[in-house]
Amino acid sequence: MPEPGITKIDVGDGAAIPTPDDKGLVSAWWIALTGAVVLLVLLPWLKPDPYLNILRFVPDGIVVTFQVTVFSITLAIVIGLLTGLGRISRNRFVNLAASLYVEVVRGIPLLVQLFYIYYALGRFVRVPDMLAAVIAMAFCYGAYMGEVFRAGIKSIDHGQTEAALSLGFNQRQTMAYVILPQAWRTILPPVGNEFIALLKDTSLVSILAVADILRRGREYASESFNYFETYTMIALIYLLITLILSKLISIMEHRLSHYERR
Amino acid sequence: MNAADPIIRLHRITKFFGTFKALSEVSLEIKAGEKVVVLGPSGSGKSTLLRTINRLESIDAGTIVIDGRNLYGDGEDINRIRMEVGMVFQSFNLFRHKTVLENLTLAPIKLKKMGREQAESLALSLLDKVGMRDRAGHYPIQLSGGQQQRVAIARALAMEPKIMLFDEPTSALDPEMINEVLEVMVALAREGMTMVVVTHEMGFAREVADTVVFMDGGAIVEVADPLSFFTNPQNPRSQLFLKQILAPATR
Repeated sequence: MPEPGITKIDVGDGAAIPTPDDKGLVSAWWIALTGAVVLLVLLPWLKPDPYLNILRFVPDGIVVTFQVTVFSITLAIVIGLLTGLGRISRNRFVNLAASLYVEVVRGIPLLVQLFYIYYALGRFVRVPDMLAAVIAMAFCYGAYMGEVFRAGIKSIDHGQTEAALSLGFNQRQTMAYVILPQAWRTILPPVGNEFIALLKDTSLVSILAVADILRRGREYASESFNYFETYTMIALIYLLITLILSKLISIMEHRLSHYERR
Repeated sequence: MNAADPIIRLHRITKFFGTFKALSEVSLEIKAGEKVVVLGPSGSGKSTLLRTINRLESIDAGTIVIDGRNLYGDGEDINRIRMEVGMVFQSFNLFRHKTVLENLTLAPIKLKKMGREQAESLALSLLDKVGMRDRAGHYPIQLSGGQQQRVAIARALAMEPKIMLFDEPTSALDPEMINEVLEVMVALAREGMTMVVVTHEMGFAREVADTVVFMDGGAIVEVADPLSFFTNPQNPRSQLFLKQILAPATR
């Protein structure tokens, strides 16, 4: 029986925010993955026309999407590293150039940049659509990647730099042997996230006549007029890919933090 | 170079942080093999002075000559001078991504182009000296503060420097770990290393120092041998400082 006149306030002992291994939490990731897989299997099985036909038509696009993603991210990482280093450079000109690049790219929508680079390139040189798409994506993501690299480099305690300098390493050697190898651990997880974001954004290149997943879907839909069914499958394919990738990245992230705790 | 010439010569060093004058026309000469302990209240400029010696801190006026080479001279390679001036930091600053052994071998291999085997045997003998040989394969994060600092000393020694600078090497340590680090420093002093030590360890200053330098307000206030400094300080500010730190706790 509650005592009269006393208001009891329950202060729980649990964590304010549920921890990832909290038993009560149901993994949204598992539900989404199961749902995507079940639908991708069940729909073509129950209604082969059009679902199975769509699944047969689209895979070429998956390859192209991955090609664009991998080439773009590789190039973007190179640009990002240079930009990140530029942004922390003491050389005024280099610093300004890198900062200006980041400001400009971040201020223009990706789709506009894609069109711009595609047609700007087209005015001077004839490049394959795929190459133009990769250059445009990398140009845009390089700026975001630059910020990731800059943050990663700045996250390393200044004492590490001082220790290296005091031994006789110059600035460049300090960066190469001491700072970047440590910053890499901070940088890798966000780079993984950028990879997923970039993979999704490659759907924009379908506009530039690059036959990625979305473009293949559109081609199928415009012939068969099965718009709803096609885009259902397209969405499920993207979802499945990104779910798997995000899991891989969180495993990688865990491994890296494990290394720190060792 | 004459043997009697100082290996470190600081001449009228002035250093500003913004508008704050951290060092004010500081001059100091240190002979090869000399052990100098720099004392003073916090904010007196002692760490700043130490850090100007290997140019981790730039100066606004004055000259610094290390082993006959002007730190700001034309054509002088600061990195080559730094190779001969080892430094030990308050916060150890071991390379976190490298094992103890790799911490010691990195600089000799990359900078002196020493072979891996030679660098490793040098590193192991130095780790032996600081009592850390059995931890050669560990990562810094697995070591206690005292152990990390001993490794840091060995890392600086791996470049076979002529001068060792210590910037409050025991200030970040738990009390029970201070001695293990001081013992290593005492042993190093006995070997004849030129040492400049900023510390609050008065016992170390008394036992090891050839010269005590007392700083206050960005200037050197008193330079004396430890015996006269601790028993008969001349400057009123030194007297006040010693009274404050040596006063028995009255509670």
